[in-house]
Amino acid sequence: MSLRVLNPNAEVLNKSAALHMTINAAKGLQDVLKTNLGPKGTIKMLVGGAGDIKLTKDGNTLLKEMQIQNPTAIMIARTAVAQDDASGDGTTSTVIFIGELMKQSERYIDEGMHPRVLVDGFDIAKRATLQFLEKFKTPVVMGGEPDKEILKMVARTTVRTKLYESLADQLTDIIVNAVLCIRKPEEDIDLFMVEIMHMRHKFDVDTRLVEGLVLDHGSRHPDMKRRAENCYILTCNVSLEYEKSEVNAGFFYSNAEQREAMVAAERRQVDERVKKIIELKNKVCSDNDSNFVVINQKGIDPPSLDLLAREGIIALRRAKRRNMERLVLACGGEAVNSVDDLTPDCLGWAGLVYEHVLGEEKYTFIENVKNPFSCTILIKGPNDHTIAQIKDAVRDGLRAVKNTLEDESVVLGAGAFEVAARQYLINEVKKTVEGRAQLGVEAFADALLVVPKTLAENSGLDTQDVIIALTGEHDKGNIVGLSLNTGEPIDPAMEGIFDNYSVKRQIINSGPVIVSQLLVVDEVIRAGRNMRKPT
Amino acid sequence: MKEIVTVQVGDFANFVGSHFWNFQDELLGLAGDPSADSVFKNQDLNMDVLYRTGETQQGIPSYTPRLVSINLRGSLGSMNSHGTLYTEVASTSRDVVTWTGRVSTQASEPLKRNLFLQRLYEEEEKPNINEIPGSNNDSQNEYEDKDVVECLENGVKFWTDYSKVHYHPRSLYELDGVWANIEEFNNYGIGRDSFTWAAQGEEISDRLRFFVEECDHIQGFQFIVDDSGGFSAIAAEFLENIVDEYTNIPVLLYAVQGSGSHTNLQSRKRTVSEVLHDSISFSRLSTYSKLIVPVGLPSLSKSKASRFLHIEDAKHFHSSAIYAAALHSISLPFRMVPVGPTADACSISGAVDIHGVVQMLSGQGRQNMVSVLDVAMPAPALTGGQNDLSLLEVLQPLTPQIADDVEDMLAIEHMTVHGALASEGHRASVTEVKDKVDGAFRCASTRPMFCHLSVALCPLPIPLPFPSIFGNNVGKQGELIGGQTINSSPKGSLEVHSVPMAARLRSSSVVLPLLENKLQNLQRFGIQRGAAGSELLRSWGFGMEELVEMEEMLSKMAATLRPPQLTSDSD
Ligand SMILES: Nc1ncnc2c1ncn2[C@@H]1O[C@H](COP(=O)(O)OP(=O)(O)OP(=O)(O)O)[C@@H](O)[C@H]1O
Ligand SMILES: [Mg+2]
Repeated sequence: MSLRVLNPNAEVLNKSAALHMTINAAKGLQDVLKTNLGPKGTIKMLVGGAGDIKLTKDGNTLLKEMQIQNPTAIMIARTAVAQDDASGDGTTSTVIFIGELMKQSERYIDEGMHPRVLVDGFDIAKRATLQFLEKFKTPVVMGGEPDKEILKMVARTTVRTKLYESLADQLTDIIVNAVLCIRKPEEDIDLFMVEIMHMRHKFDVDTRLVEGLVLDHGSRHPDMKRRAENCYILTCNVSLEYEKSEVNAGFFYSNAEQREAMVAAERRQVDERVKKIIELKNKVCSDNDSNFVVINQKGIDPPSLDLLAREGIIALRRAKRRNMERLVLACGGEAVNSVDDLTPDCLGWAGLVYEHVLGEEKYTFIENVKNPFSCTILIKGPNDHTIAQIKDAVRDGLRAVKNTLEDESVVLGAGAFEVAARQYLINEVKKTVEGRAQLGVEAFADALLVVPKTLAENSGLDTQDVIIALTGEHDKGNIVGLSLNTGEPIDPAMEGIFDNYSVKRQIINSGPVIVSQLLVVDEVIRAGRNMRKPT
Repeated sequence: MKEIVTVQVGDFANFVGSHFWNFQDELLGLAGDPSADSVFKNQDLNMDVLYRTGETQQGIPSYTPRLVSINLRGSLGSMNSHGTLYTEVASTSRDVVTWTGRVSTQASEPLKRNLFLQRLYEEEEKPNINEIPGSNNDSQNEYEDKDVVECLENGVKFWTDYSKVHYHPRSLYELDGVWANIEEFNNYGIGRDSFTWAAQGEEISDRLRFFVEECDHIQGFQFIVDDSGGFSAIAAEFLENIVDEYTNIPVLLYAVQGSGSHTNLQSRKRTVSEVLHDSISFSRLSTYSKLIVPVGLPSLSKSKASRFLHIEDAKHFHSSAIYAAALHSISLPFRMVPVGPTADACSISGAVDIHGVVQMLSGQGRQNMVSVLDVAMPAPALTGGQNDLSLLEVLQPLTPQIADDVEDMLAIEHMTVHGALASEGHRASVTEVKDKVDGAFRCASTRPMFCHLSVALCPLPIPLPFPSIFGNNVGKQGELIGGQTINSSPKGSLEVHSVPMAARLRSSSVVLPLLENKLQNLQRFGIQRGAAGSELLRSWGFGMEELVEMEEMLSKMAATLRPPQLTSDSD
């Protein structure tokens, strides 16, 4: 405070210095992420101080692994992560677009332009671009029978930016089939109904779709079968263990007999519950050809396991809550919360249930189900960091397919949209804007080109040649993107390169918002820090 | 056997946990060591309660804590998050099999293991060398031990620096995307901000479920939370989930704080953010636990609890050792092998499980769910001794902000005494301890309404990586030796090998000041019109309704403990 009195210019100086620091931080983050972009980007292997490895080609994962301290960078990272939460993709693009907007702004601000004016221009350009996107997008009809080809193309485009081609292509089919499996007409797609399970396997990189469910645990009784066919599946959330303890009872009951009586009574109650399950089993499994499997969300203690095992029942305890839902969608029946509700109608069915053991890890496969609405993508990889990276790619692909189904449209990729939007802004929009805000529109338009430029750069192409070729074609009325192999303009539709509409829209939306905050109200950053440390 | 799953959330919690598991590891080692004191041989303690048996993918059997530990990325120092046991060649392979394009590797400078860890792993690689009698050169070894102790004394930065335990690959979880360094991660708001359950919760609960599913009959969760900063928000979310998923499994929660975890204790006035954090954190954590025990004195070194100890408050390595020792004592009865009501085994007595302790302390009478932790470290000999200290008098609180001399006729206590010495270096039998404690209660001027006593023969073993914090009047077996006032440097694990301990959980109205403090701060800085912190609380994501709910809860908790004539002023 006293500083301001002594030097009235300190405030102003600080402001401009602060602005440049902000811009530098944004550029720094851009530099870190830009080599990630696209199918020719660089994968990053991060090795920690204790030797643990992370592998990623994903902007989102990379950001989370970084120890970011700079407040500007944190704000940008939060925006990018929010992008991923909302639409599942486009984090790298978001960060490099923000970086580029800041870079462009720096040029104009250095020339004496007020950030406010720039921001006004950004705002106009943003709205115009969003309108343009509406015209530009490619509608796809997703009725009862969605166009599988287009879904595959979208999934393939995104997965190929994360995994090498043939691995990506193998996954693409799995991903599309998984989403189509869980999709119900007239209902939102809940991707949680696709379980993603993994197994470590020394040499393999292999993934398959299990129509059914894979659980990461097995039965806990030595006599239970490890493999069974024609299985009734009981999905339940009933405690089959006995919850109060013998020992502590001593405090609360006046004498030993009373305590024993309580213990016995309680054990009886648990046994009763088990017996009801056994009764149901006997009712439905009279033919001897079928089997009975209990999958319980609560615990099952050894005496209960004994009773069940004696009847040939397979029982699993402490199933994931979400698997209760998935099981019912995969096998049918309904999840039961009390043994009083037991009827044959509650039961689901699976053709095959078997256990797979890997060291101390056990897996239970529930397969050959009829008409499943839940499924499992099973990933095999040689180590955790490889598995994690494939998992991220699978998640991206799933989101891409879901987005396509919900958006009912896609956007031409390979830079085609960005170049088209840029030409539209320069040729059509700029002239409708009065005064210096024009320059804001121009800056925005040029910033869009960061996507094709970076794609070119990552492919070892000359960015200027590429941009001249692309804009030239667009001015002739040909909508083209960039072939990363040849550097020539191509029709992305012919190559099957499509991005999600909702992802693009969000990048266009959120980038300028954060940039405006950073440029105009650089106090926000300080306020953000102050909020946490008031004195 | 009834299993316990331990959860450690946050930096200081993991410091405490690290010592706690070192004690367990030491007990396990001593039980199998032919040259160890016989008191460690047959302890009648079932370690399976805390540990799981498993096997690595190579089929090598493993024995590791049932533990989920949560901390910020980068907090594991030189320890790999997969632990040290299940290391596979594949996991360190730098081949990229998923990408044919460019790869860029960014490797951090490998963190060097300190002298202690180096020696630990060297010994592991040639495990037999120490078992050949007479083969090791004693003086040589002594010298090395000294170096090790000294290197820890001066250089502990991470909790892993002094850990001798093998952890399961699923135990150590590092939060990512928390873009703040540990100094900034100092309040509930930032914890809430930087962690979303949707993003990382599933992985965390999967890890917990892995340990719970194995349990045939889980007795409870032992939860240690560093509640001095953002971790309480994460712990609260985790707890909310646990309470929902494992409805009937009791949670025993220790809310721990390191000394001086708040900026410059007395000298500067505590900030609004700090006091509000404390109130919010406390009420959120108590919402989801059955029994909460606040642990951590602002200045442990000056407290009565460290009468025989030399603590440096600035060192988490020091203070966490005392808290861990007390937690260890409290947890002993949870794993005493239960015996029939009449035939007490000769090495233990008073087995009780978590459910029992929780019921005892908070489930009856006033239903007060906040307990005070007291400790006597070392516990004095039962008879003789230089100044004939009574066990009950030397138990001193590790819980902050409690009243000093309040007589509470309704207090309920759970006390563990283990490894107590009768006199002159011979161990007191279980019956002797019981008689002595009974006697002490009979002569005491104030008596609790109810006290449950657990006794074990086995003292607290002092592992090599234990800090040098014993005063020079503490002997090799933790006995108090009189007459020495020379100011020599504090003794450590080379001089003191085991310590008799007493620890106690107390449900008593002495916690009233703590509760009232939290309540008043919440009202004054958060709720009242124009409160200095109302904007802050909004930025942490708390609406007025939620705050008032917390206020009501705190005031109810306080009201049950107030002496009758004073209860009327709360509405
Ligand atoms: N075969 C291709 N040829 C040219 N461009 C492509 C091709 N496939 C994808 N792209 C482009 O790559 C960009 C997407 O790259 P990438 O998936 O690496 O980054 P992102 O989606 O922005 O961020 P992230 O996936 O890391 O969250 C899109 O602009 C897309 O059009
Ligand atoms: Mg992408």
